[in-house]
Amino acid sequence: MTRGLLDGRLHFVVGKGGVGKSTIASALAHLLARRGRRTLVVEMDPTARLSMLLGAAQVSYTPVEVGDGLHVMVVDGRAALEEYLGLIIPVKRLLSSVFSSTVYQYFVAAAPGLKELMTVGKIWYEADRRTAGRPLWDAIVVDAPATGHSLQYLRMPQAARDTFGAGLVQREANKIVSLLGDPRSTAVHLVTLGEEMPVAETLETHAQLVDALRMPVGYVVVNRVHRRTFSPDSLARLRAGSRAQPLVTCVAERATEEAGWTAINAAQLARLREVLSDTPLLEVPFVFAEEFGRRELEHIIEELAAQMPGPATATRGRA
Amino acid sequence: MRQSFAELVARHRILISAGSGGVGKTTLAASLAVWGALQGRRTVVLTIDPARRLATSLGLAELGSEPRDVPAELFRAQGLTPQGSLAAMMLDQKGAWDALVERHAPPEAVPRILANPFYQHLSQSFAGSQEYMAIEQLCVLAESGRYDLIVVDTPPTRHALDFLEAPRRISDFLDRKVVRWFVRPYFSAGWSALRAVNRSAGFLLRRIEQATGVSALAEISDFFTSMSGLFENFHVRIERAYAVLRGAETAFVLVSSPEEQVLGDADYLSSKMAELEMPLKGVVFNRVHHEYRAPRGAREIEELAEIERAVANVVGAEGEAHALAENFLDYQTLARGESLRMEQFRLGLSVDVPVVQVPNFARDVHDLRGLAAMHAHLFGAAAA
Repeated sequence: MTRGLLDGRLHFVVGKGGVGKSTIASALAHLLARRGRRTLVVEMDPTARLSMLLGAAQVSYTPVEVGDGLHVMVVDGRAALEEYLGLIIPVKRLLSSVFSSTVYQYFVAAAPGLKELMTVGKIWYEADRRTAGRPLWDAIVVDAPATGHSLQYLRMPQAARDTFGAGLVQREANKIVSLLGDPRSTAVHLVTLGEEMPVAETLETHAQLVDALRMPVGYVVVNRVHRRTFSPDSLARLRAGSRAQPLVTCVAERATEEAGWTAINAAQLARLREVLSDTPLLEVPFVFAEEFGRRELEHIIEELAAQMPGPATATRGRA
Repeated sequence: MRQSFAELVARHRILISAGSGGVGKTTLAASLAVWGALQGRRTVVLTIDPARRLATSLGLAELGSEPRDVPAELFRAQGLTPQGSLAAMMLDQKGAWDALVERHAPPEAVPRILANPFYQHLSQSFAGSQEYMAIEQLCVLAESGRYDLIVVDTPPTRHALDFLEAPRRISDFLDRKVVRWFVRPYFSAGWSALRAVNRSAGFLLRRIEQATGVSALAEISDFFTSMSGLFENFHVRIERAYAVLRGAETAFVLVSSPEEQVLGDADYLSSKMAELEMPLKGVVFNRVHHEYRAPRGAREIEELAEIERAVANVVGAEGEAHALAENFLDYQTLARGESLRMEQFRLGLSVDVPVVQVPNFARDVHDLRGLAAMHAHLFGAAAA
């Protein structure tokens, strides 16, 4: 590999629910911003949880700065569609009556994927924006919805290009498809856990991205990796000698638990490495904390930074 | 006095496991169903999980859209003796919609409806469609009278609330008045009708169709025209669905992990459920880390050095005493955070809602015995 996978402008972060996708997305965004890139985080969850996590005062459908060189915005398909139609049909007074009509609601529901397409279109619009002769954003990190749903979004531009009749949408879909398929500009990063189910799903998603969507895969980030092992000898002695010592029993149980997860994670990491031999893996160690806060996020940012080529070492390949 | 979780399960005929994705809902639903069968109830579990995990753990090659019995021999092979029976089925969303069409549409219209793009969207990707069909299936099972216990595993939506609101959303969408408007004969003629109603709105909508390249309205009209009989009666179905969900014999069981984000979602869900008059009646905290508490009367030990000494006494000072003690304290930290959050969550619950904890097993549950092993944590003494 001759270039860093974070060099492109557009980064989709995809993963199953409960694997820490938003945490990883925000860590990647902080990392990019600290490397001097003007970074926008795009969230597709209307509850704007990530925006709040990053320090936004309220939900914003246009980019707002949240500090640390980061900007954030929420993209909502319906709002994006209305905005788009507003550009085509500049009669605002009439548009609002159309948008509130039942017929329009049916239209949106009945045009399969139109909302999804508009969401991706809006992201593309931000990626394409320029100011003073250069792109407005150096990096855009998209915290995509849970996997199945994400693929639905990423599939839309192609579907639109192939199925919608000739029109504005088809022309724009073409541009979006070429942006999404270009490894110089786009990377889809997959977040997972080192466990059976999430890994199976990640492999499936990877195959779909590569074979069906023909999109460039970036990093596979394995979150919450346990790494401690203990000698069987210590564990055996602990168990044997723990009679009538509840504390020692508990120490033995926790060591067994940790060693169990370490073994499961290691086996699943090996499985990922074997099947995805061309895709670089990043391992984020399990964080033992009472509450997950700023300090824990910093820790993850550092871990990620240490495992990927930095801006100065971008030509050196995988760390 | 809180009732026990075993009492809760014994008193209800329908158990619905709700919660955000990735918390172990499917496994819990399967474990509850196995419990029902062991306790002598004619049990069925309805899952939404397309992964074959549930089928495999029940010992079945695959699940179908009709209940399939788990043979008693499979139980016995694992040292379990079911007094009742267990069947399992998987929701086939598309199949369930198709069946609805086939039951209610005129036979000659069926192929046209099934091929209609609007219908395909409604049956496959309309928000709430899968959830609604799960509830339809639940109603069918409840009315069949074949089961004393029906366990439902809800779809892995980010907000389980979608499940509860699905019937209302579908109902709003297929509102009778709107549907009737769509099936007015002149509407099928095209945009000219709309223009007659409102000249400028008609013009704009036509521009939208041109701009987007979507010609959807004719399809919608065609669909509703063919299906009008069904949707005229749709509100009756919705009422029936809510009657089952709100019924006294139905219990929502919230499944959550003790992580901050997940518990935040659970909190929100629980308050919304109360508003919808579908209160949660039990809570299962899954994947909980064990917290060590000193025996009664003994002093809490929190110092690394002190724990290290106790461990070194057993494994030898030159061994891994330090690493073992550190690992123990890390898990204590984790467990303390969890137990504070769970306690806080519990304070917001009505006093008669049983709350149980299932530990974070360092392995996958993959067979009937594994599912039964959860019973000790769910039902305590009743499982012994």
